[in-house]
Amino acid sequence: MRLTLAAAALLGRRARTLLAVLGVAVSAALLLDMVMLATGMRESFRELLLARGYQLRLAPKGTLPFDSEATVDSASAVLAALARDPRVSAVSPVLGTQLFVVGEAGPRATAFGLGVRPAVQGDYERLDGDDVGPGRLVANTDFLRVAGARVGDSVEVAAGFDPQVRAYSGRRRYLVAGTARFFYTAAGQPVAALPLADAQAMRGDDGRDRVSAFMARVADTAQTEAVRRDIERRVPRVSAISTATALAQVEQRLSYFRQLAFILGSVSLAVGFLLVSTLVTVSVNERAGEFAVLRAVGVSRPHVVQQVVLEGLALSAAGALAGLALGLVTARYLNAVLGDFPGLPAGFEFFVFRPGAAWRALGLLAASGVVAGVYPAWRAASLPVARTLREEAVG
Amino acid sequence: MDDRLREDAGLRLGDTLVLRPRPGGPGERVVVGAFTRRNADPSEVARGEYRVRLHLDQLQALAGYENRVDRFAVQAHPGRAERAVAAVNAQAFGFRAYRSRDVAVKSSRTFEVVRRFHRAIGVITVAAGATFLLCILLLKVEERRRDVAALKLVGVSRRTLVGALVLEASAVALAGSAAGLLIGEVAARVVNAHYQGVYRTPLVFVLVTPDVLAFAVALSLALGAGAGYLAARRLAGTPPAALFGR
Amino acid sequence: MSDTERARRRDVILSAAKDRSAAATDPPESVSRSADPSVAALPQDDSRAVIHLDEVRRAFRVGGETVEALRGVSLRVARGEWAAVVGPSGCGKSTLLNLVGAVDQPTAGRVLVDGADVGAMRDREATAFRLRRVGFVFQRFYLLPVLTARENVELPMAEAGVGRAERGERARELLAYVGLGGRERHRPAQLSGGEQQRVAIARALANRPALLLADEPTGELDARTGREVIALLERLNADGTTLVIVTHDETLAAAGRRVIHMRDGRVERDEAVR
Repeated sequence: MRLTLAAAALLGRRARTLLAVLGVAVSAALLLDMVMLATGMRESFRELLLARGYQLRLAPKGTLPFDSEATVDSASAVLAALARDPRVSAVSPVLGTQLFVVGEAGPRATAFGLGVRPAVQGDYERLDGDDVGPGRLVANTDFLRVAGARVGDSVEVAAGFDPQVRAYSGRRRYLVAGTARFFYTAAGQPVAALPLADAQAMRGDDGRDRVSAFMARVADTAQTEAVRRDIERRVPRVSAISTATALAQVEQRLSYFRQLAFILGSVSLAVGFLLVSTLVTVSVNERAGEFAVLRAVGVSRPHVVQQVVLEGLALSAAGALAGLALGLVTARYLNAVLGDFPGLPAGFEFFVFRPGAAWRALGLLAASGVVAGVYPAWRAASLPVARTLREEAVG
Repeated sequence: MDDRLREDAGLRLGDTLVLRPRPGGPGERVVVGAFTRRNADPSEVARGEYRVRLHLDQLQALAGYENRVDRFAVQAHPGRAERAVAAVNAQAFGFRAYRSRDVAVKSSRTFEVVRRFHRAIGVITVAAGATFLLCILLLKVEERRRDVAALKLVGVSRRTLVGALVLEASAVALAGSAAGLLIGEVAARVVNAHYQGVYRTPLVFVLVTPDVLAFAVALSLALGAGAGYLAARRLAGTPPAALFGR
Repeated sequence: MSDTERARRRDVILSAAKDRSAAATDPPESVSRSADPSVAALPQDDSRAVIHLDEVRRAFRVGGETVEALRGVSLRVARGEWAAVVGPSGCGKSTLLNLVGAVDQPTAGRVLVDGADVGAMRDREATAFRLRRVGFVFQRFYLLPVLTARENVELPMAEAGVGRAERGERARELLAYVGLGGRERHRPAQLSGGEQQRVAIARALANRPALLLADEPTGELDARTGREVIALLERLNADGTTLVIVTHDETLAAAGRRVIHMRDGRVERDEAVR
């Protein structure tokens, strides 16, 4: 009967109930988006970093991988030192370089080149065709677009451009063997992967036995931190960065968004609470006579409280569900807006939906609706019956 | 020396340091001659690296650059910048010249993204606020159903009633705007103080400008009057018989 | 309807009241036409009194002043009796009813209803008392507009923990008893004033109360509809329900066996009329 009364009270005032549910839905959507933003960046970046299972990244001392143009020299010696560590199961060296797609009339387009060893590479996921090899490169669709090429075509690329003499230190022709999705390069950036030795050679003296970074896979993840420390000790000219450190660095740079997420999330929770509280309070005030009648015919105080609290819960639960759908839509839109953020990997997402976190947030909103109904419920149950019956007309 | 090094490394004027281009390599002694504050440059905000300034030839020698620089900054005579750019680009040396403002546009991409993000969030929060406002207003005016019914009973016209309610809603909106502006100004100061401390920069993050002010006031007035009008129309339709609970 | 069926219906409706009093249909000895109408028609035997007021006072604070709505009222109402309380506006009749119904509490004096000291009850006890021992009928019906007729009648039963099937069945029977069989699904807005009052009476009978209290039950009704409600109340009383009715309606007052006249918070006279 309490459910019937609560439902009837809400459905009897459809316009008002609908508007309130809409208000709670918008608050819920914003809350959900902020929860997704707060946790999304970290989760997304972690997934990216661990895409190929490499837990450590080695970069020139004092830098982050590809944060500057600095390189690690005597790369082969570093590789050998790492290979001697039984705890390290794989090492992937990579050299970044600016690539020019050249035609007869000169450079047609610029791209980013990655010199890799395909057997251990951790920078891309092949989508079709063959892998990098002698005379073969793999590229993303942006590269194919700017180069005007397709899989199976050959392209001429150059590196080590000296603007003063307008000459390249290295220039080669490659077959486009396949396409790939590159994890760590920015969206829209043309990228091609080619053999590491080729990239080093094409850079001339500047590339000899040099790499931009290494990625290392530790067999036992529990040993990751110990391996990291050992590497830094044994190879003082590199900084070894674990996934945790890299995450912390990114979080620090994007801390603004987390803080914004927290503030806006709190505000939307407060707004949802206020809306339900006001609606229930006004509804109770309007129906004072009804509650007095209920008390007069013998309905107990706790049951009156339960009925009113049910109304608050129904509003916030309905709003939360509608907000879930709305929030997912707005999150996609906001993700697209932030996707243009320069310098972030293409696969990076700001808004990531995690069911557990989402349900907790929306559950919190629904619970706040319950709390919002408590005070007006208590007031409804505490009305002086005789006086209220005298003053109010019901039915 | 970057001013932050004064705090972080405990440097003082007159201290002697060794600068090396790479760890463990050869270096040069320098004396700290001055400390400089960071610019209010948004592109530097999130960067943690310290800035050190020394004579060009000394840095070239230290870094092994020989006779190289990264770039030139060129000041053209007033009105001649375009021609200067074209002239440099036509030179045989293969340099590229850019107008500073074009570079700014490119390097402002981050802030353009953030601006669009803020605008999107702003739209969502205004939508939430407007829905909330309309809902609350509809609820509150319904409490006055009997008053309105009584007024209609004695002959007050619908037009008068709606006008009075809209005026009331507008007055509340105006008062709310004033309170909101005060809150916004205080919040701006708090945000600026916080982030200037976090990023150690003189950059102003939040600025309440006259046009922002005007927009906020206009929007809240429009929303308040609009919501008031909708609620008033609904309420003014109350028949006098509502007095008797019918 | 046959007599057997009528008797069965009466039993179903009023079984609790019947259980409480073997002589529910016997008129109390003292209620008879008396030569002196001012003689208080009180039952000689207090043990049969379902309502027992003893020097009851009720004062209210209104705008800083104290208003005495009841100034020392003493009276008894016997089981199965029909007592009408009449008097000018503000004489305290509704206050009296509210005290008997445990809706309000006296400032002084004792109010015993069906053996329970209503004045000493805390809110929880008073609520349970109203739920199970008393049925209330109001001038303005006070039906919940969002519920159907059947749901309004079911409400007290639901509160008393009666199962869904049982209370649905009983609600239908009660509505049939009051002449509204077939109108169960109508909401109050779809019912006439008289029909709404019938629903209110059915609701008041939901938990088989010992006592039915009515405050101006015909106040909002036209003469014809009022007579229909009076006929219903007569049937109830004939079936054993104790009635205390506050009214301005002379016809209604005359339908009962006893009329208690009040003025200025006191009982002015208390007379048997049949």
